[in-house]
Amino acid sequence: MLNSTLEVSHLCTSFFTDRGEVKAVDDVSLRVDKGQVVGIVGESGCGKSMVARSVMGLVKKPGKIVGGSIVLNGQELTSLDDKELCEVRGRDVSMVFQEPMTSLNPTMRVGRQVQEVVAIHEQVSKEQARQRTLEILSAVGIPEVEARYDAYPHELSGGLRQRVMIAMAMIMRPSLLIADEPTTALDATVEAQIIALLKRLAHTGTSVLIISHNLGVIAQLADYVYVMYAGRIVEKADVCELFDNPLHPYTHGLLGAVSSLRSQSKVLQTIPGVVPNLANLPAGCSFAPRCDRCMAACDSVRPELVTVGAGHELCCHLTKGVDVL
Amino acid sequence: MRGNATTSLLRRLLYSLITIVGVAALVFVLLRMVPGNPVATLLGERADAETVERISSSLGLDKPLPVQFADYVLGALSGDFGESFTLGKPVVDLIGPAFMNTLRLAIAAALVAWVVGIACGLFAATHKGALVDRLFMGISLLGVSLPVFMVAMLLQYVFARYLHWLPVAGISDWTGYVLPAIALGWGSAGSVARLVRSSVIEELQQDYIDTARAKGRTKRQVLVLHALRNAMLPVITLMAMQFSGLLSGAFITETVFSINGIGRLSVQAITGRDIPLLQGTTLLIAFVIVMGNLVADLLYGISDPRVRKGV
Ligand SMILES: Nc1ncnc2c1ncn2[C@@H]1O[C@H](COP(=O)(O)OP(=O)(O)OP(=O)(O)O)[C@@H](O)[C@H]1O
Ligand SMILES: [Mg+2]
Repeated sequence: MLNSTLEVSHLCTSFFTDRGEVKAVDDVSLRVDKGQVVGIVGESGCGKSMVARSVMGLVKKPGKIVGGSIVLNGQELTSLDDKELCEVRGRDVSMVFQEPMTSLNPTMRVGRQVQEVVAIHEQVSKEQARQRTLEILSAVGIPEVEARYDAYPHELSGGLRQRVMIAMAMIMRPSLLIADEPTTALDATVEAQIIALLKRLAHTGTSVLIISHNLGVIAQLADYVYVMYAGRIVEKADVCELFDNPLHPYTHGLLGAVSSLRSQSKVLQTIPGVVPNLANLPAGCSFAPRCDRCMAACDSVRPELVTVGAGHELCCHLTKGVDVL
Repeated sequence: MRGNATTSLLRRLLYSLITIVGVAALVFVLLRMVPGNPVATLLGERADAETVERISSSLGLDKPLPVQFADYVLGALSGDFGESFTLGKPVVDLIGPAFMNTLRLAIAAALVAWVVGIACGLFAATHKGALVDRLFMGISLLGVSLPVFMVAMLLQYVFARYLHWLPVAGISDWTGYVLPAIALGWGSAGSVARLVRSSVIEELQQDYIDTARAKGRTKRQVLVLHALRNAMLPVITLMAMQFSGLLSGAFITETVFSINGIGRLSVQAITGRDIPLLQGTTLLIAFVIVMGNLVADLLYGISDPRVRKGV
């Protein structure tokens, strides 16, 4: 029996633009075990969605997976052609997108959009497919499913639409659900409801890869966290370990942003500077230009991921003297 | 919701009716403002004043304009559009068969325009940036910008006079419709192709396409089952408007290919100063255009659930 649902190793996904190769995902390895909820956190533009799209085999041109491997339930995905991937998508791995407002087809009744997934992957009668759709719709907490089945997306609120998206992603009981910023477009109360829903799903045995720029969301859901910066993993740890003992200056920055929110402090602490141009990364550590603990080595030598504790890895020159933090 | 839609339909119908009555009045007045007595033109230069007057009064042309208009409207409501000055027959009897000829031509042209336009537009959209795409778009630009009479005469020369594949002019069987339909539909095919292309490309960039792909649909299925329907929404509106354009804009094609349609009849009416006939054809064309726009609006409302509720 395999223990891992998803095993991504040394994944590289690049965009080939006029201004050169943009390394949106650069040597990323990650693992999601059965029934585990794994989070990826990082600022906007750091390549989180590209990791998700790479796993789904849905990287758009001019982007392309240029290296590495993606193994889902023991099956290598990067060598499959699109037809073979179509069988995997929606059945073994599914995805909930960031924008519930635009992620549904505006001219198709939502019930049919959910039912479509069953029709693609199974030979069942219309009536059976409809029955299953109604069941999953009520399972994700949609009231009056019979009526909602025939509704068009514009007749539903953002929260309901996102529930429909989750129903769609769950109806085939995939082994992995990828949720890419599922609550970013929603207001706080609805966000809490969706998080509770995802939590319940995770308890039913589905592995979840949750992506967010918000450590608060990650903290509530994930068992294990990857911190991503400029296309790379800079720190990874068990969720408690990461919050108790964050080592990377970037993780500190992200945590600062969350805790200042929590403490209702007037000044929202953010990390100064912006994500560097991925087409033209610094030779050393990508975070060096924004890092308040930058040393001489940081500008010239690129750090590697190093184990610093049980299940805790760090990609930072500060590891050499762990005492510093 | 239901009741709302019905009232809005009634409102639109009323607007259409007002437009048509307005056009009728305008045409009526304008035609009578043209200097010169049509009866004099009709009778020739040597007709004496007395005869002109007698005939004018028998045609009701000596009455005041509002009275004439009221007579006309009342007549029109009972299907009487007067009698043609030049052809001596009731206008209805002239317009009826001519309209059928034009209708057949317009249907044939629409078929050409839509089949060719949609096929080329789709193909170009799915091969965006490739050689075929640029070739198709180049040709379609030519289609949009070449004047109809040039296309018509070019087709006539190559396929009828030179290759003898198809009749030069006139309609004796369906082959007679081929060249006129292409000539008339050519421009519409170009604009349909361009709109289909841009609309499909735009739809394929929408988020819901990613969702459909994530469900396990292939690229082709996503195109056919999701993108195409939505991309066709603006195209349907264009097509409905185009159809009335094809019906009303066949003057040149009908003249080049000697088809006895509404366009040709109008030209005849203009040259002969045949006021009742011209009134009849103009009114018919106005009616067709107004109806075309109405149908376009309604189709758009029916096919897009986002507007359906609010129509
Ligand atoms: N079409 C494209 N052409 C060139 N570069 C692209 C393209 N799409 C994405 N990228 C690059 O990929 C990088 C990562 O994008 P990605 O969408 O994965 O970011 P993200 O972490 O999901 O951000 P967000 O929080 O905004 O969703 C971007 O910074 C951008 O430089
Ligand atoms: Mg993203």
